[in-house]
Amino acid sequence: MYIIVVGGGRVGYYLLKALLKEGHEVLVIEKDARVCKTITDELGSVCTRGDGCEAATLADVGTGRADMLVAVTGDDEDNLVACQVAKHKHNVPRTIARIRNPQNAPLFKKLGVDVTVNTTDIIIEVIEHEVPTHPVTELFTLDEQGLIIVDVKITEESATAGKMVKDLSLPKESKLALIIPHEGAAHVPAAQTTLQVGDQIIAVTPSQYKEELEKALSGV
Amino acid sequence: MKVLIMGCGRVGARLASLLDEDGHQVTVLDNDTYSFRRLPPSFSGTALYGNGTDEEALKKAGIEDVDIFVALTQGDNRNVMSCQIAKHVFKVPRVVCRIYDPLREEMYNALGLETLSPTKIFAQMLREKIEGEG
Amino acid sequence: MFKKILVPVSGTEADIETIKLACRLAKKDKGQVWAVSVVTIKRALPLDAEIDSEIKKAEEILDKADAVAGEEDYEIETDVLQAREVGPAIVDEAVERGVSLILMGVAYKQRFGQFSLGNVVPYVLKNSPCPVILYQQ
Repeated sequence: MYIIVVGGGRVGYYLLKALLKEGHEVLVIEKDARVCKTITDELGSVCTRGDGCEAATLADVGTGRADMLVAVTGDDEDNLVACQVAKHKHNVPRTIARIRNPQNAPLFKKLGVDVTVNTTDIIIEVIEHEVPTHPVTELFTLDEQGLIIVDVKITEESATAGKMVKDLSLPKESKLALIIPHEGAAHVPAAQTTLQVGDQIIAVTPSQYKEELEKALSGV
Repeated sequence: MKVLIMGCGRVGARLASLLDEDGHQVTVLDNDTYSFRRLPPSFSGTALYGNGTDEEALKKAGIEDVDIFVALTQGDNRNVMSCQIAKHVFKVPRVVCRIYDPLREEMYNALGLETLSPTKIFAQMLREKIEGEG
Repeated sequence: MFKKILVPVSGTEADIETIKLACRLAKKDKGQVWAVSVVTIKRALPLDAEIDSEIKKAEEILDKADAVAGEEDYEIETDVLQAREVGPAIVDEAVERGVSLILMGVAYKQRFGQFSLGNVVPYVLKNSPCPVILYQQ
């Protein structure tokens, strides 16, 4: 794949290295001549100096044949514009933008950015996982299907401990995918499976039913 | 008319005071309060501190019921982003965006924004002036 | 002393003298001389794109180098390299072939009214794995 990365800061630099290692053709576009030089000195001709929001720069680097453009500068507005120019001027099939302000995620989607990655949300997810304030942690979002994959822990407070899967009243279209017990091997739950304290359940649910699922599984 | 202007630079401040004189209800938003020194003492509108690419700040500035939104910060990309928020999120009836870079201006114009490129307009004006007097 | 000499040629006047010089240096030790011409590929195209007109041009430059070597009564090898940038292509080739010398011709150039060495020569000088001799026409 030919991947263009806009922004040669720390995120861009490590992304470049990782993508090169995977064998992709990668090019970083960076405004700062010094940053550009550091990258070129270390990794060869994989960095070009310029403004990744400018259609002319993007044309020069062959954005028309790129499979993907990833904008990871420190400014949300620059990342938005880089993705929009790539999409609308150069027909890049997939664009990814890093965002700082979590509120920008829906806006960027609406404006044609395919994927947004938001460090704030990622850190919050990690914190929730490490220090669970809810028994439910969101693991992954499948945007197009409107589904989320969640991780639910059965604790001593859960009224469902000791109940069988068939007796749970799960919300519509929610499915239990996997049970990871406190001890022993992970298994796929069947109707007769009994939930135990310490079980970790991986489930799939439409995003609007997250809270119902939480209720159904914790029993509170 | 209710007008929200983002960016209180020379153009922003001047436009604000002109519209204010004409009796419109003007709010100016800038992320540097020092910029408001450019507004004349007679200015009767509102000057508000805030970041125009932030939905919350725009709401606070009353974007939900303005008739027109004008983006005049120094950054083309910031103008483009806030105008798209105004147009697509808050459905402001009229949105005007300043974009210095003529190429970017053409693209966003094609995408449906009402755009103005001072670079293009001024170069054109100068050409006419020079050739007209030749 | 210089058993393997790499001579990047680019079609300038300086090519002739550098090839001659390389042959003379190599002769003593029966060393090898590689003349290489770099075809740069714009990012708009994949690196392995074949641009016939450019390749033909590079081959013509190399044919000329070969003819000059013939006049010196010495046999050299020639190669067309394809890369995004000239400097790194030359250095990579030098590393790969384990050459003991890079001999480059430089044409006197001006840019914005001032003497300019361009960006290839400084890159090679900075990153070369072996000694470099510059010949300015």
